[in-house]
Amino acid sequence: MSRSQTPTIGHDSNTVRLSVRFARLIRHREVGLLLLITLTSVVVGIKDIHFLSFEVWRDILVRCAPTAIVACGVMLVVVTGEIDISVGSLMALLAAVMGRMISENELDLSCWIGIPATLCLGTLIGVCTGSLVSLGRVPSIIVTLGLLTALRGLTTLMMGGENIDRLPEGLTQLAKQGLFGVPISILTAVGVIGLTSVLIHHIPLGRRLYALGSSAESARMAGLSEVRLKLFVFGYTGFLTALATIVDVPRLPKIESGIGSEFELLVVTCVVVGGVAISGGQGRLIGVLLAVVLMTMIRPVLTFIDIGEAGEKWTRAIQGMFILLAVVTDSFFSRRQRGSEKEHAA
Amino acid sequence: MTGTSGEKSTDSSGSRKLRIALLPKIKGISYFSSCFKGAEEAAKELGVELIYDGPTDGDPRKQAEMIEQWTIDGVDVICVAPNAPDVVAGAMKEARAAGISVITWDADGTTESRSFFVNQASARAIGEGLVNTMLQDLGPETEGDVVIISADATSANQNAWIEAMKPALGKSKLNLATIKYPGENASNALADGQDVISKYPNLKGIFGISSVSFPGAAEAVEQSGKGGQVLVTGLSTPNDMKKFVHNGTVRSVVLWNTVDLGYLTIHVAKALAAGELKDGAASIKAGRLGELSIVGDNVMLGDIMVFTKANIDQYDF
Repeated sequence: MSRSQTPTIGHDSNTVRLSVRFARLIRHREVGLLLLITLTSVVVGIKDIHFLSFEVWRDILVRCAPTAIVACGVMLVVVTGEIDISVGSLMALLAAVMGRMISENELDLSCWIGIPATLCLGTLIGVCTGSLVSLGRVPSIIVTLGLLTALRGLTTLMMGGENIDRLPEGLTQLAKQGLFGVPISILTAVGVIGLTSVLIHHIPLGRRLYALGSSAESARMAGLSEVRLKLFVFGYTGFLTALATIVDVPRLPKIESGIGSEFELLVVTCVVVGGVAISGGQGRLIGVLLAVVLMTMIRPVLTFIDIGEAGEKWTRAIQGMFILLAVVTDSFFSRRQRGSEKEHAA
Repeated sequence: MTGTSGEKSTDSSGSRKLRIALLPKIKGISYFSSCFKGAEEAAKELGVELIYDGPTDGDPRKQAEMIEQWTIDGVDVICVAPNAPDVVAGAMKEARAAGISVITWDADGTTESRSFFVNQASARAIGEGLVNTMLQDLGPETEGDVVIISADATSANQNAWIEAMKPALGKSKLNLATIKYPGENASNALADGQDVISKYPNLKGIFGISSVSFPGAAEAVEQSGKGGQVLVTGLSTPNDMKKFVHNGTVRSVVLWNTVDLGYLTIHVAKALAAGELKDGAASIKAGRLGELSIVGDNVMLGDIMVFTKANIDQYDF
């Protein structure tokens, strides 16, 4: 389904009709993901019942949390027709900065200073990315590819070859044990998902982001500020990356310069597998969240089906095949849906 | 072979300083930073210029680019810790063809790409050392599953250690249930640790054999509340593991002296460039380390070290 190139008077109704058809189609995309998750769980559960235990799924959900948080931002970036592949390196830099500020071995500042400062820095870097993209007119893939390397380099410099540990006890406790037994990262993810959902469905901003993504030209004609919307999505992504860093990194044994490596690929994969069109304008949050669960499941699934010593060496290849499988299942379901729609029309 | 004090004086009166380039697998991780500490110490002692640089992501192609650049710059010795021997071999051979001495350290390359390999400890000593430490901490008659959490499936060092661990495990009553490859990724290492704890109810121990997977596995045991039931041992720097040794999740940390490894590498480089170290030599005098043996073309650092609650605080690397 291509974007409408020539804005006409009938464009609005056109968009509405298109979006209704897509809503129908996309619902099936999510059904496909849900089926894949369920089927995989059942098959692996039959092989090893431990896989269906509470502990395993609690661990999986905790691992989903940072990916889900950041995917909420990256999804909106992709909806506006842009992309952000720098979130892994940004996470590393923010972890280093946060660690330097609040670790007992470093500056030992209060969390009440360190955490807001980390959030501000994340948001600021996101807004800078957004302004390079919107004001500077540099393609977002180029800007964030540059940042991917630059931020990682900066992190290495900041860390100076040493690791940072001894984060404040309170913060690590919240990350590991959580509030009333629920890790803080899960609570945060729930909050962010709620916020993003409200943003998409209940305030005009959300509709404008989709409008911008489906046709930048007509969005401009409708008087929407492309610059402001893009500053927002990149700033929001930066903010969410900081949030994910704060709630997830204290779970790890130490802060090292390799933190968040390949995280950007995981997030973008989830956004795409979740059904967000890479050309912008389409995509639903629920699809992205299901994709996050599916992608996060792969590692434990491979452990529980016990693929043997030779199989373990193929972990990465198998992960890749899983992604392909998800995409193929998607397109299979989409095609069937499109086919049945044609029948209805006839 | 002259002593170090003699070398120092001849060097300072020489026309120009020797330039030695030291290439780690990854720049910016604590393991290699501690090697660099020892290298700096030796460089100061010997009066040579030390260049330390490496890829921050462990990409072997970037290692090859750096070797090519140093060949153009005309340094005297290049010391390489290859991340993928085949990828860097071409650049190393070109450097040798240009008259530069090339040695490997920490991990070996292909034999024709270097003259000597500075070997921290034989794979057998490390593999058997790990298994023996685990058996000692668990009790030699313990039955049950153990798991190895390695680095990447292509990591040559880790693979050699695993091959050495297998026969040693075969002689014990422990069963090697699986081997996981989380890469150099702390989140994956923690995840793999959690998953094997849930998967194998009769799990007695986890070997974390990289500086990322060892703390990751220890963290997983601690967070799952299995401290004391599942024992973790492995290879990492003492600084990374101190907190786990003090809280009892880990009883023993196995490693060589990484500071000494860097120190020895620079001594070997210097001796090679000065013509004091020739093919077929049986030993080398290396400053404060004294006389060390050379087996074939491997300069041997010596034995592995085991750090426990009793001695770990004496080491800072």
